[in-house]
Amino acid sequence: MPTMASSTSAGEPLRITRLELRNWRNFAQVDVPLARRVFLVGPNASGKSNLLDSIRFLKDLVEVGGGLQAAIRARGGVSAIRSLSARRQPEVAISVRVGTTSEPDRWEYTLSFSQGTGRTPTIKRETVARNRVVLLDRPLKEDRDDEARLGQTHLEQVNVNREFREVVEFLQGVRYLHIVPQLIRDPERYIGRPNDPYGGDFLEQVARTPRRTQQARLSQIVRALKVAVPQLETLKLEQDAKGRWHLQGKYVHWRPQGAWQSEAQFSDGTLRLAGLLWSLLDGQGPLLLEEPELSVHPGVVRYIPQLIARTQRKTQRQILISTHSPDLLRDEGIGLDEVLLLEPGAEGTTVRPASDIRDVRVLLEGGVSIADAVMPRTEPEHAEQLALSL
Amino acid sequence: MGVEINGAVEGPIDRAVLRRLIEHVGGRPGVIHLGNGKSGVLGKLGGYNSAAYYSPWVVLVDLDDDFPCAPAARAAWLPRPAPHMCLRIAVREVEAWLLGDRLQMARFLGVPNSRLPSVPDAVSDPKSLIVEIARTSRRAAVREALVPSPGSGRVVGREYTSWMIEFGASREWWRPQEARATSPSLDRAIDCLDRLLAAVGTSDPPACRSPRPSLSS
Repeated sequence: MPTMASSTSAGEPLRITRLELRNWRNFAQVDVPLARRVFLVGPNASGKSNLLDSIRFLKDLVEVGGGLQAAIRARGGVSAIRSLSARRQPEVAISVRVGTTSEPDRWEYTLSFSQGTGRTPTIKRETVARNRVVLLDRPLKEDRDDEARLGQTHLEQVNVNREFREVVEFLQGVRYLHIVPQLIRDPERYIGRPNDPYGGDFLEQVARTPRRTQQARLSQIVRALKVAVPQLETLKLEQDAKGRWHLQGKYVHWRPQGAWQSEAQFSDGTLRLAGLLWSLLDGQGPLLLEEPELSVHPGVVRYIPQLIARTQRKTQRQILISTHSPDLLRDEGIGLDEVLLLEPGAEGTTVRPASDIRDVRVLLEGGVSIADAVMPRTEPEHAEQLALSL
Repeated sequence: MGVEINGAVEGPIDRAVLRRLIEHVGGRPGVIHLGNGKSGVLGKLGGYNSAAYYSPWVVLVDLDDDFPCAPAARAAWLPRPAPHMCLRIAVREVEAWLLGDRLQMARFLGVPNSRLPSVPDAVSDPKSLIVEIARTSRRAAVREALVPSPGSGRVVGREYTSWMIEFGASREWWRPQEARATSPSLDRAIDCLDRLLAAVGTSDPPACRSPRPSLSS
């Protein structure tokens, strides 16, 4: 599995510089620039996860065993992807620009598809451009002659994607993490699928890492984890008689030798933080994080943006984070251009950078934190009714 | 282990600085509450003051532009301080105290000593000044970490907080003893902590008043 993201000669790795969606789940129309670090903020069910999932969709196109049909099937079919507010247009479309700060339009990939007349989803259009020069614009003549071809993207086909292999490798480097501690602890996790975003194969992923890298990362993780869990002294990976991997942590204890515990005894917060730290160290492609604040003490959560910024200065990789946490957004280094606000409306959810909202800009100039400027906008209008609802 | 001192501050940088100062005078940092801004601290000042009847407390807030001088602010915010309450007011922001150690701050930011102000307490916006100094740094990492990007709408760069915490919390970087020589407001804060410690266990309330009349205290 390729893990290296392509980079420019200057060393700055590629990132998604712009994302456009049409009729995609909650979104009738999205067209937003993406910074190297992005915080997605919005009410429950506004589509934060669906926005991240649109990027995972592109990764699924280029995965081994993936492809258009599998990616659509995994999401419940075109009808499940297509926005409820898409009345007239039957097509679902996604477009990304991939580049760097100095070359934001290096690549543009666009894909639109619909259910088609048959049973299989059909590509309506697929385009690839490099520096705005079109390299591919489907349907081609061959596609019109043989419509079955429109069931597969060129992105997923090695024999035709050579000219834009860089985009393919970039998308293969996308990582997604939303660790569910219960899955890591589950002894049946071994039957889980590889690269399980919910962490089912998290320990196997750690075990697959070359030993020296693995040990170096684990000691970095212990150093970081000690901030939240000062009793933790060491982390190591061990295999049991059945071949399952276990994370063993040594805790400073009233016993003179301390005590070893396995992941089954780790707290949810410890496991989630360990997973977050590992994912920051693993890979160079875009990293998608779902609510990294879950189960973590707010006093620790507020430093997650600093942790991410410091990691990014070294790796420059792009990191997209969905969050509900005012503690996380309290960091005064978070730029308005790094915050995307999702606002549901009658015509679907709109997405815009916080820097486009005058009131937010003015509040910040007046000394209000980003958390206090943005979070009230994501709160349900009548949240207090919850208390009276049963 | 010294006497435990609890406290309340506006933000994480202030907390790192206060912990260093408590250790510097031989005390032991206890629970340091984060107020998430000045209003957060001042809103709870009554509670902190009640606690300071029983154990030593330090509350650190920035003066900003609320009052012309610290004594006026103190009189308004806390007219009747408890025996073990030490309300300290940094003239502008706690960063002025960090700037007080000119030599180390210049090394930390990768700039010549001459770029650092000689009277840090007189700087009207120390945060912005640190960012402006960082802009001229020899080291790309400093510029990248501390200077905000043009579209961010922020005063400081993405890693400003953790860099200032690193500087303030580390004995290898910030030296309060050096810094107090250039920042009278820090000098008075350290004096106040000394008196607070000395008074613990005696019936004498610490006299947290400036021995010298000045703008800041």
